[in-house]
Amino acid sequence: MTSWKEQLGDRIPDQLGGEVDLFEGQIALKKQGKIDDKIFAETRLRRGVYGQRYDNGLRDDGTGQKTLTFPCGDLTKGPDTVWDAPGMMRIKIPFGKLTVEQLEVLSELAEENSDSILHVTTRQDIQLHFIHIEEAPDMMRRLASVGITTREACGNSVRNVTACEYAGVCTTQAFDVTPYANAITQYLLGHPDVQDFGRKFKIAFSGCEDNPCGLVTFHDLGAVAQVRDGKRGFRVVVGGGLGAVPVQAKVLAEFCPEEELFPLTQAVARVFARLGEKQSRARARIKFLVQKVGIDEFKKLVADERETLRPDERWTAFLDDLHATDETPVREAGAVPSGASAGFKAWAEHNLKPQAQEGYYSAIVKLPLGDFTAAQGRALARLARELTGDSIRCTVEQNLTFRWLSGADAETFYEGLVALNMAATGAGTITDMTSCPGTDTCKLGISASRGLTGELRKRLTVIEDELDPAIRALRMKASGCFNSCGQHHAADIGFTGVSRQVGGRKVPHFNIVLGGQWTENAKSYGLVVGAVPSKNIPKAVELITEYYLANREGAESFQAFMARVGKKEFRKVLAPIQKPPSYEEDPSYYSDWGNPREYTIGDIGVGECAGEIVPFVEFGLQEAEQQLHDAQDALEAGQAAIASAGAFKAMVTAAKALVRHLEVQVKDDADDVVANFKTHLHDTALFHDPFAKGKFATYLLKMHDDQSFKSANDEIAHRTLDEAQLFLEAAHACYQRLTEAAATAAAAE
Amino acid sequence: MQATKFQVKVYTRAGDIELEKLIPVFHEWIRAKKISDELLIDVADYAHVPQGPGVVLIGHQSDYYLDVADNRPGLLYSRKRGFDGDFQAGIDDAFRRALNACRLLEEESSLGLEFATDEVLFRVQDRLAAPNEDATYDAYKPALEQAAGAFFGHAPSLERLGSEREPFAVRISTGAGGTVADALARH
Repeated sequence: MTSWKEQLGDRIPDQLGGEVDLFEGQIALKKQGKIDDKIFAETRLRRGVYGQRYDNGLRDDGTGQKTLTFPCGDLTKGPDTVWDAPGMMRIKIPFGKLTVEQLEVLSELAEENSDSILHVTTRQDIQLHFIHIEEAPDMMRRLASVGITTREACGNSVRNVTACEYAGVCTTQAFDVTPYANAITQYLLGHPDVQDFGRKFKIAFSGCEDNPCGLVTFHDLGAVAQVRDGKRGFRVVVGGGLGAVPVQAKVLAEFCPEEELFPLTQAVARVFARLGEKQSRARARIKFLVQKVGIDEFKKLVADERETLRPDERWTAFLDDLHATDETPVREAGAVPSGASAGFKAWAEHNLKPQAQEGYYSAIVKLPLGDFTAAQGRALARLARELTGDSIRCTVEQNLTFRWLSGADAETFYEGLVALNMAATGAGTITDMTSCPGTDTCKLGISASRGLTGELRKRLTVIEDELDPAIRALRMKASGCFNSCGQHHAADIGFTGVSRQVGGRKVPHFNIVLGGQWTENAKSYGLVVGAVPSKNIPKAVELITEYYLANREGAESFQAFMARVGKKEFRKVLAPIQKPPSYEEDPSYYSDWGNPREYTIGDIGVGECAGEIVPFVEFGLQEAEQQLHDAQDALEAGQAAIASAGAFKAMVTAAKALVRHLEVQVKDDADDVVANFKTHLHDTALFHDPFAKGKFATYLLKMHDDQSFKSANDEIAHRTLDEAQLFLEAAHACYQRLTEAAATAAAAE
Repeated sequence: MQATKFQVKVYTRAGDIELEKLIPVFHEWIRAKKISDELLIDVADYAHVPQGPGVVLIGHQSDYYLDVADNRPGLLYSRKRGFDGDFQAGIDDAFRRALNACRLLEEESSLGLEFATDEVLFRVQDRLAAPNEDATYDAYKPALEQAAGAFFGHAPSLERLGSEREPFAVRISTGAGGTVADALARH
């Protein structure tokens, strides 16, 4: 008997093997108490070993919070993170590319160390859940033996470099971005200039401007392929991001020649490392730095930094062989048989895309919620080995794409999928929803985004063939919280998890975000229309799509329709389903999709008064919501300054409600409200979010200080509205915490 | 190094399972500490994955799946941590825990589940210590025969399944026709 280290021997590259050995040593030292919690946490995060829900050793079982008594006792793997608690391993798959052998090894690890499920993320990674940290080093060795590293999959580093899944085979690309994405991945991995960030840094490549696959506009740095006068280069954008406040990236360089891409990126990284926020995580992404200094000054900083860089041959060495990442088909090109089955034709309509190379196709395997089993992974690997070769790509829509499928083999491939129960039709349509993990496994999840997406998918799949093509073409995406990992801002219909207090109990809700644009690299983001109880979301989708179908003009797209009728009309459509029934009327509203536990956290007393008397604070929060809706209407009407002022007013109203809830006398004017809010809610940390800390409070304080809302343009108004939305969510959450604390204190007495 | 990541799957008698019904049941098992000598942590819902792991009761020492792989629903017990005992005891323990979970599920009236005892799947999720090859089969065969005989009362017939890439797996035809309770009572 031997160890994986011995078994794999020199199949593990020295560099990667050394890193794993080091990590294994750090695990041993941590167990001996010789490494600080915070340092170890960042160490494991930078190796892709992530936390998971309940890893603080506490879990609410629906009747109250209970301790999970792990055998490790007091041993931790980070602040408030129990050693034995299961965690997640995020495995970087640069530009989503997998070889057959890699897919096989990943499937083996899913079986042996996880729960047999491989999960494709919205950034082309693979995640395995319920991992024990002590099994991580051998998992990393097995991955390393097939050329995969988890290094810098998490932590404050350069995350997985993503790219269009059709790069190299796309019919609209300027050129294949694969060799560039590959080379920059290698160049930046462990590079000293990317080790001192205050937050993560995400890079994406796109082969063209119009198609959405690269999604560069919501990345920290995005590169879009361009050819000018026969010369290759990139339009480089910087400072985009989703998260709490979505921001469109700004143009850093209209045309960056290919040989300048690496030094430009390196200079951006150095500026970010030097000037980016380090203390407040909430404002540490590069988008905040770009906003703070302005894009023109940022360009100047980057240009100056570029001048200081010492030339590095790796900047251009890869250009000598741009075919190094080319894929070789294993079968001759051919036409799709004309007499194919009806099942194949239905699948091919959305799941089979012709490549630029005649006779070859890319086949999309539509995964439910991004999941597939280890056994399916192995079987897919067998199919790929036979028909497509090492040309598998994880996609940002949480699917798998198999490229270089000969048309002549397409039906055989389809039949293979049928045998695996993986021939779901409708890739890229309304039934092909993406979702972050949400409350299933994420520590930050507020609502069950996967539960919701699963439910919608189930309902829509049944009627898929009956759907109007205009509805079928819509995209829906869900995030379990404001961090937006489900990329809901870029969907026609997006959902983001929030909670609301109703009659002394919490009710899971989703904010509905309408009108985001997926095309043109996610060119514009949607805005919040309103919060709807989770259990009413399927009805909401029905109402939204019916309203669209009944009122659109001709073949008007959803976005054009939205632009014409505005969100105000949709709010009217949704109004009847926004208020949940009381607990006594229907308790099912008080638990989330796929989770029968009562959503309420802790032993909140349900006093008679709580169910019957609406406190002032609830009126105040409701009024603030209305003001924010009015502000959104103003923005739609092109009144940016009025919208921005309205957003500020909504924040002040919510703040005033909370201040008064603390029985503090406060005047109606904003100065007094903000001063009291700062004293009684911000400085006392009562308003602080458990994870985002004081981030949301600063939105109000900063806006009050700089009065930027008074002269807002469209972009500022958009941001102000987003910030106000988050401030209101935080106000609801704060009110819930205050209610719980009061109930707990009352119970103790 | 001895493998301990044993899996035992006991198939249901009926082919169709409403997986969603398992979710509240497993949550209640966590709340009520239904498996008193194990730490139960969470429930993972994979009902949306065809022929997948179904619904999983995640524990620290082991997981319990109502698994629908190969379109054959069954209770899959999966040990994740080391076992404090000898090889035979480890295999016996895996059989016992799988059967005990089946018994608990049969007691859940909302599910209407019944398990068959004529066939059991045994797997080892450890390709290093138990590669899917003849030598492993030779090493496990006596212990599996002993365990199956002890629980099901007949000399079983064994068949190794799968390829080298797949985990070591053995189909055990027990020759039994009794209930899960019978099997538990016998050992």
